[in-house]
Amino acid sequence: MKQKVGQVSPEEKNEILALFERRNGLSELAKIVNNDDVLYEKLVTDMGTTTTKFQNWWDRMAAKYQWKGTENGHWEIDFNTNEIYLIVNS
Amino acid sequence: MEWKEGHAKSITFIVTKDCQLVCKYCYLVGKNISERMSFETAKQAIDYILSNKDLYSESSVIWDFIGGEPFLEIDLIDKICDYIKIQLYEKQHHWFNSYRFSFSTNGINYHEEKVQNFIRKNHNHLSIGITIDGTQTKHDLNRIYKSGKGSYDDVARNIPLWLQQFPHGGTKVTISSPDIPYIKESVLHLYSLGIKEVNINCVFEDVWQENDDLLFEEQLIQLADVIIDSEYYKEYACSFFTEFIGKPMDKVRENQNWCGAGMMLAVDAAGMFYPCTRFVQYSLRNKKTAIIGNVHEGINQNLLRPYLTLNRCTQSLQECIECEVASGCAWCQGENYDAAETNTIYQRATAICKMHKARVRTNNYYWNKLYRKLELEGQRENFEKKETSVIC
Amino acid sequence: MLQYLVILLDDTSVSYCHYENPKKVKRLISLSDLKAGILFAMKQNLMIQFVYPDYEIPAEYQKEIETIDHHKIAPQKIQLKNADVVVFNSCKEFSTEKTEENKDKIFVLRANGKDVARNVSTFAHDGRLNIIITDIETFTENDFSLYKETLEQLKNTVKEIFLQENSPQVNLLTDRILLEKMNNCNAGIENITLAPNGKFYICPAFYLEDENDTVGNLTNCIDIKNKHLYKLSNAPICQKCDAYQCKRCVWLNRKTTREVNTPSHEQCVVAHLERNASRNLLLDLQQLGAWEDKSIKAIDYFDPFEVKDKF
Repeated sequence: MKQKVGQVSPEEKNEILALFERRNGLSELAKIVNNDDVLYEKLVTDMGTTTTKFQNWWDRMAAKYQWKGTENGHWEIDFNTNEIYLIVNS
Repeated sequence: MEWKEGHAKSITFIVTKDCQLVCKYCYLVGKNISERMSFETAKQAIDYILSNKDLYSESSVIWDFIGGEPFLEIDLIDKICDYIKIQLYEKQHHWFNSYRFSFSTNGINYHEEKVQNFIRKNHNHLSIGITIDGTQTKHDLNRIYKSGKGSYDDVARNIPLWLQQFPHGGTKVTISSPDIPYIKESVLHLYSLGIKEVNINCVFEDVWQENDDLLFEEQLIQLADVIIDSEYYKEYACSFFTEFIGKPMDKVRENQNWCGAGMMLAVDAAGMFYPCTRFVQYSLRNKKTAIIGNVHEGINQNLLRPYLTLNRCTQSLQECIECEVASGCAWCQGENYDAAETNTIYQRATAICKMHKARVRTNNYYWNKLYRKLELEGQRENFEKKETSVIC
Repeated sequence: MLQYLVILLDDTSVSYCHYENPKKVKRLISLSDLKAGILFAMKQNLMIQFVYPDYEIPAEYQKEIETIDHHKIAPQKIQLKNADVVVFNSCKEFSTEKTEENKDKIFVLRANGKDVARNVSTFAHDGRLNIIITDIETFTENDFSLYKETLEQLKNTVKEIFLQENSPQVNLLTDRILLEKMNNCNAGIENITLAPNGKFYICPAFYLEDENDTVGNLTNCIDIKNKHLYKLSNAPICQKCDAYQCKRCVWLNRKTTREVNTPSHEQCVVAHLERNASRNLLLDLQQLGAWEDKSIKAIDYFDPFEVKDKF
């Protein structure tokens, strides 16, 4: 089930979009960087930092907007409309 | 919908000028098997682009790979993409957070292991379009092997795999004079294959015969009827029917150029830079190539100025400027240059005029009929609100 | 609308503009083509500008030329007494001229930027002086700086002449003050060139670059393809520009950007350095009570291309 529960500002959307893209970029970069590569350490650290920032954004926004949530569900954002949806696993 | 709606920098690598097919309408008049890009050339181009951030300051980038058939050079492409990713990251380039790899392929070797490995490796950043022209009859009319055999079967077998990997994948259909009778059945056939976005364009070259516009109009009216009566419009799209076309255009507020030639950048196997692939010699019938630089010396900014200052009115005839159905009438800067009476990009080719006018008539018919239906069903407001979603 | 016909009397006719004339072998226009060219100008109501080589042309040519109203453009070397425009091909040539005796003539000085910079202090001429910088397309940032200094010196020279209650005209500085709209060369629109081979060209430079680049002949008349591209209204950068003194050389445009309607960065910067120097001259002269009805506004760019998004 998918239900609209709120909306974020364009600036807030851009923040999570950049983190989303960075996380995807890092995960695909990780496929071609060996653990003996000079980039490896930096990449691992970066992935950790980006994931934390990503989660922080959701925590921050959830606290700010007080979106409805459930235990067996998660939120998603529509990058075109900036709308937040609650997805309940059936 | 195009990623970043045309605001991303588009950089095209012409990795090969070879192709398995010899499509009859193909604008690439100089295809050959000898001009294959080396990794070293690609690397030099990437190094130049990434080290000139002031010239390439767009917030996003589309790294586009074309041919010929780009997937003939999948090993090279894989190496280039790896190099791009590493360089973006090492240089802390802002494009690392906003890039795509884009491909237009004939789909023939889409299923091959090397191509599939590449797709798995880069899936989050890929935009792949397979060109399939419609029914087997329509497709095989133009898209043939050197032997003369049609390519439909070899492409169609890969469509399910492609749609499984890219459910929102769209296809490009090109219409030339002999294709007109097959338009309706071809679009419906593509829908039946599960392709929800069909982008169709009439070729810009002067190929049109007497009464082609009337035949075209007839086909589009029939197509409009089926799309509306069978309610395909709820899930499927056909670029012929676009609401905001066929209106007069303001000389000041609506004076932008149609295409992105000059804002794009193409590089070929010899390391030459072009304002778009249509200015490469293999795309030109009549004119000399329009090189704007090379990987060693960079871009000659003076040669870019005409492209970056092009607008609608300075390249159009008075008839076009004052046309009452001007909006949506497209042009290709490369075809304009190739067809011009002098060596200029400022002479708009108008071979497409009567086809555009026919399209506008059917487009008006489509929207009038659709909105009336939705109005009577009380669905008009919902339809107008409907938007595509990209979910994180 | 065409107003002028430039007739090159010989392949070695002097250059009076940005282009160089590399031709060394004399080839006079045929007498029949000269007559046909004059007839064409009479029928089309065109003022003829005859461009002379650096040798004396035959008497029958001289006689024919005098059958119509015209202007003579001649190299300084031949000392043509009734020349209307005298062309100097270096600052050295110009420095030897007794300018006082020829105040009624237009002087054209062709020289490169560095030559002009070295000799600008000798340009005190109380008459009309057109300075043509011949190497604009090669200018670098250093050259722009040098040119700015040159124009500042020239401004002071012109001001000095004004203070002596004379009325000097130097194209680079005084034209912009007096003009209220673009005053471009307008080759292809207001003027056309008849070359010694009897064919028409957009201007002498087009002929010297490629004899095949013709736009007609005396038999079939003029047919300029994409003629609208020579008009200011079809030049996206120039139509928004207020460096009115710029010649907007379509030949240089084509040479540097491949389009006759698009100037190079170097052309635009040079024109704006001149424009701004003109403004400085105007401000100085207004303090002396002159040209109080004129104005040139301050701007913060040197190349209109850089502000094209604000047009």
